[in-house]
Amino acid sequence: MIDYTFQWRVVWRVWPELAKGAVVTLEITVLSMLIGLAFALVFAVVRRSRIPVLSQFVHGWVELARNTPALLQIYMAYFGLGAFGIHIGAYTAVLGAIAFNNAGYLTEILRGGLESISRQQRMAALSLGMNRFQAYRYIIFPQVMRIVFLPVMNQTIWAMLGTSLGMIIGLQELTGATAFQQSLTFRPFEFYFVAAVAYYVIAKTIILASRLAAARLFRG
Amino acid sequence: MIEIQDVRKSFDTLEVLRGIDLTVEKGEVVCIIGASGSGKSTLLLCINGLEPIQSGRITVDGTDVHARGTDINRLRQRIGIVFQQFNVFPHLTVLENVALAPRIVLGNSRAEAVDKAKTQIAHVDLTDKLDAYPAQLSGGQQQRLAIARALAMGPSYMLFDEITSALDPELVGEVLDALRMLRGEGMTMVAVTHEIPFAREVANRIVFIDEGRICEMGPPAQVIDDPQEERTRQFLSKVL
Amino acid sequence: MGSTAVPLYSSGFSWGDFELMLQGAGITLVLTLLSGAAGTALGIVVGWARTLDRWYITYPLVGYIDVIRSVPLIIQFILFNSVFAILGFRISPFWSGMFTLSLYIGGYVAEVVKAGIDSVPRNTRRAARGLGMSYFQDLRYVTLPIGVKAVFPAWIGLMLGLMKDTSLIAVLGATPPELLRASQIIINRIQEPLLILLGAGVFYFVMCAVISRFGGRVEARWAIERGVLR
Repeated sequence: MIDYTFQWRVVWRVWPELAKGAVVTLEITVLSMLIGLAFALVFAVVRRSRIPVLSQFVHGWVELARNTPALLQIYMAYFGLGAFGIHIGAYTAVLGAIAFNNAGYLTEILRGGLESISRQQRMAALSLGMNRFQAYRYIIFPQVMRIVFLPVMNQTIWAMLGTSLGMIIGLQELTGATAFQQSLTFRPFEFYFVAAVAYYVIAKTIILASRLAAARLFRG
Repeated sequence: MIEIQDVRKSFDTLEVLRGIDLTVEKGEVVCIIGASGSGKSTLLLCINGLEPIQSGRITVDGTDVHARGTDINRLRQRIGIVFQQFNVFPHLTVLENVALAPRIVLGNSRAEAVDKAKTQIAHVDLTDKLDAYPAQLSGGQQQRLAIARALAMGPSYMLFDEITSALDPELVGEVLDALRMLRGEGMTMVAVTHEIPFAREVANRIVFIDEGRICEMGPPAQVIDDPQEERTRQFLSKVL
Repeated sequence: MGSTAVPLYSSGFSWGDFELMLQGAGITLVLTLLSGAAGTALGIVVGWARTLDRWYITYPLVGYIDVIRSVPLIIQFILFNSVFAILGFRISPFWSGMFTLSLYIGGYVAEVVKAGIDSVPRNTRRAARGLGMSYFQDLRYVTLPIGVKAVFPAWIGLMLGLMKDTSLIAVLGATPPELLRASQIIINRIQEPLLILLGAGVFYFVMCAVISRFGGRVEARWAIERGVLR
């Protein structure tokens, strides 16, 4: 039989601390996605243009981001950069590493999206007298948006879950705050269970909101 | 007038057009026939500059299509093209598909563009589908939409690239009807087609292209009913 | 971590350190292979069961997949570990971590498997049944082989992700240490984070490259098969 008394009140008592952690989690998620998208937009176009040095640089970035653990990337930012005399806080390290990672994955997502819009759509646009910019602005980009929307949302969820790695270097995001609070009470199950529920609710909210947005944005 | 003089075009080492000479007069309907891979579709893409050429010259109303100084976007407003695979814009409604280019390319006001679009959509008999998206249309309807989209730019010339090849047989008729109607209105047209009976019916001239060269050219009564060249006979015996 | 502190013992990168990292890489591979195999087996069953379209099967499975994919792996590690403790199971952090990894990757594999089965055209399945094949014969000889090829690249992607995620088992303090934890241990001693992390990065990179290469090979072979058949 289970010889364990669940105590939820200890968790309830410190909920403002956990909420503060959740805010940090959301903050890093949003910022890292925005930064990642900004880089990825440029990177995707560079990759397609095949400009020699730049294209290889982007390729290297993408491979590094995708083929090493995110935790290693965070360690790199937090401990590794010290070798160059750069010392950054846990917040900046996590934000930087997750944004680095996002940029890598999003570049591939955007590139795939661009490639899937057939050459013929571009031709049709040009044949109507549109210039290249107009073809991108009115024909290609809106179609890419629909194709990449769900993958980008998945990346957002991944980034959100990934911020939990901050706990390992002592960042007080949701997981970190949970770890700290439970260390004062030694009720790991209750604390982490509540955190898990919180993550689940956040993830579901993001998905639901994006579904609604997609339904409104992409009719037809 | 479209003048094509000694045009050569290759993809890498493969020469697809090996010296084409052809003149299309105002009001004329020219049908280009030939086996697949003979270079017919490429020729159409070269006429409105969607594919570059290696040598020769193509002029439309005296403007050199491939010259450096040519404002190709402006020239393309005068040459409409309809593709085999429709290439309608899947993210736009029927009305938006047709009204977009007049608005952003010709600089029409929204109301003007919508007016123009509605006229052309009625022309191809799609008025009841104004707010539908392409995915909700049949192949024949999508192809008529593509025709309306090109017509809304008020082109002087229309190019058709095997526009019935991707259609189910029962949908071919409605698209060809749209072409017959255009011919009745005196539109200058160049059509690459596999519909030999249709070509015989509407064309002033038939051009038979074989391996990148014009093999035989003349009125339908000659090229289709009484071909002079052995290659033409062989081709026709296969498709008829 | 004062940089002026005099090291208590050898501060250089020793042969023993290299061995520790090598062993760590081996542990990373073992974790990946074992939990990858268990998770894939679990995912195939769950993914297939999802296609049965019975609400009393679908609902719980969707719940499982949903939760697995919406909660950080770190928290899953800790929660399952404390559940084992609460239930009174004496299980080492290493195997508790292995259990969590398998359950975790299984949820992702299930989605991929379902997508694979769904990707097989209905008429192909009808054709198989039309030849007199039973439901399971159709699944075994027609649907799964076609579906597997469709989603194989996605599965390889999952395995790459799994290998990187094994590094999080560090939160349980599992022994023996996998690659990243081993690196961390060495860094604590010799205070050369950049060098060690770069080394660990190269290890991961190479292991990822091997898995990718293997995936590419298999795909290329299938492409040839298709070419011959066509």
